[in-house]
Amino acid sequence: MQDSIRAREQRTAWILLIPALLLLLFVYAYPIGRAFWLSLFTKNLGTQLQPVFSGLSNYGRMVGDGRFWQTFWTTTVFTTCSVVLELLLGLAIALVLNQAFRGRSLVRTAAILPWALPTALIGLAWAWIFNDQFGVVNDILLRLGIIDTGINWLGNPVLAMVAVILADVWKTTPFISILLLAGLQSISPDLYEAHALDGATPWQSFWRITLPLLMPQILIATLFRFAQAFGIFDLIQVMTGGGPGGATEVVSLYIYSTVMRYLDFGYGAALVVVTFLLLITAVAIASFLINRSRRSTATT
Amino acid sequence: MAQQPVTLRLLMPAPDVPPLRDAMIQAFQEENPGIRIEIIEGPNATNLIEDLYTSAFLLGDSPYDLINMDVIWTPKFAAAGWLIDLTDRVSEAELATFSPVDVEGGKYDGKLYRMPMRSDAGVLYYRKDLLDQAGFDPPETFDDLMTISKALQEDDTIPWGYVWQGRQYEGLVAMFMEVLQGYGGYWVNPETEEVGLDRPETIQAINFLRSTIREGISPPGVTTYQEEDTRRFFQSGQAAFLRSWPYVWPLANEAGSPIQGKVGIQPMVHQPGQESGGCLGGWGMGISKTTRHPEEAWKAIQFFTSLEPQKEFILNSGFVPSIRELFSDPDVLAKYSHYPDLLKVVDSAVLRPPIAQYAQASDILQRYLSAALTDRLSPEQAMRSAAAETRRLLGT
Repeated sequence: MQDSIRAREQRTAWILLIPALLLLLFVYAYPIGRAFWLSLFTKNLGTQLQPVFSGLSNYGRMVGDGRFWQTFWTTTVFTTCSVVLELLLGLAIALVLNQAFRGRSLVRTAAILPWALPTALIGLAWAWIFNDQFGVVNDILLRLGIIDTGINWLGNPVLAMVAVILADVWKTTPFISILLLAGLQSISPDLYEAHALDGATPWQSFWRITLPLLMPQILIATLFRFAQAFGIFDLIQVMTGGGPGGATEVVSLYIYSTVMRYLDFGYGAALVVVTFLLLITAVAIASFLINRSRRSTATT
Repeated sequence: MAQQPVTLRLLMPAPDVPPLRDAMIQAFQEENPGIRIEIIEGPNATNLIEDLYTSAFLLGDSPYDLINMDVIWTPKFAAAGWLIDLTDRVSEAELATFSPVDVEGGKYDGKLYRMPMRSDAGVLYYRKDLLDQAGFDPPETFDDLMTISKALQEDDTIPWGYVWQGRQYEGLVAMFMEVLQGYGGYWVNPETEEVGLDRPETIQAINFLRSTIREGISPPGVTTYQEEDTRRFFQSGQAAFLRSWPYVWPLANEAGSPIQGKVGIQPMVHQPGQESGGCLGGWGMGISKTTRHPEEAWKAIQFFTSLEPQKEFILNSGFVPSIRELFSDPDVLAKYSHYPDLLKVVDSAVLRPPIAQYAQASDILQRYLSAALTDRLSPEQAMRSAAAETRRLLGT
């Protein structure tokens, strides 16, 4: 009797889950499966855009494709630099916003603003900020007497990378600070009080209480930002278009060129599949770390 | 009852619209009251126009009837099956009025997809006044170019010798085509699809460009220059030679230009025993495969490419004509006296490889060429990789 009720409940549960599962299948599994299927074909201008089965040859081509590996490296540098900077700044901002001060809610709202603006517009604005002739950055540096002539920020490979990273940090730091702020507010003030009574300094409290208890939020924010930064397209497309000379070309820009400009659909699909697999691996490692830290915080 | 007029749509870069509109559209619509032409003014950057056309075609039902094409898009658009084959609509005699290389630039796989509207080809500008003063003839070979530059620089006549476009972009490839041609090399053989990038001529061509920087003939910043950077450099009197396109001529000779009336124009230099060849540019018109009005569109193209409207168009814009007769037309010559020199350049112009995968091949060459010119790779290393990637792309 007990068992049949249980079985019925389970069946109902599955029925209720089916719409969501179908949606997931349709939105995630189908495009990924299709991309994988397409990556087994040569479908480009050489074949009059008709698919011709070619097995794993697209993947073989990728191995010798210097541009893919260069864009992959560029994406890794971009992602690492911007996520690390955003975490540090985001944490600092969250700590400030967690303090009680007059006008706090106004500042909190203002702080989220860059995150809420459309990225393409932000890209355009930052391209002007870094413009060599009319840009604000050069104007400030000139007025301060640090430089004599305007720096061509977006025309120099290293400086262009710095510029896009700065723009991305400006835009997405608020996202991290809001996530971390939520985490900070869930930490009980009693802990700090008790720690202080034991003679701990605020600095010690930060390392012993704040940081360990905030670890799950930090890891989730990192995971989120990592996946997002790895797929960055709009900001860089608008600011530099991947230039100068491919110095800021990230994987998604290369995929865009392959599909939209070269009309090389099969190879583009192979690029998507490999990037997806690499990203999934990275995310799996990160989730593993999150679970471990959750378990360790639960036991302490 | 009056019939509803047919509307033909055409997308092109906004700055190119006024000459076309003033010279042709009005006259065409007066002659053909049943057809209206609507020009959509697109972005100035031509690669964005190419992207807009591409997206429109990929979505299936292109909103454009007439396609205004750069010479390097034609093979791609034709291979993708987006254009109507025009071969049977024109006779050989009609095509013979155009420069053969402009007609060739509109063909893919032996079929015609684009009618030439205007030509363009890379040229070498030199400072006539300085060369005359120092008793030099205009250079013929790469060595002449180096010798004259050095002599003028040593006399403190001019700070730099030669400027060219060295930034990693399509202009780099166009410039390099000409040096490569002057050394007797090739990039991709259009018939056999054989890749010539790792041949000794290519290495020699790169070494020439590297030596212009190493020996102080060209400024080190030349590897970041595009057309306009080099034009300003030349026009402000800082260099004796400039490789660029015909558009520089009217600007260099306008009132207030420091080098007004001091400029000569000639084909690119070459190695002794080789031929020079300017890189062919230029635009033409094709018809979209999805158009509902192919006959009207063809009528418009016929009008646009006929003599009288072309003459108006060339006089209006200062573009290089595709119709050979216009190079010696008295009205055109009265306004643009250097056109006979340009005809020589157009006649020796070379096409960039007319292959469907041109954009990809060009990007490969741009990357490795730029790396070789900026010392990140040796010319041999760079061209070995470039050749290997190009061969993989073409499947040869």
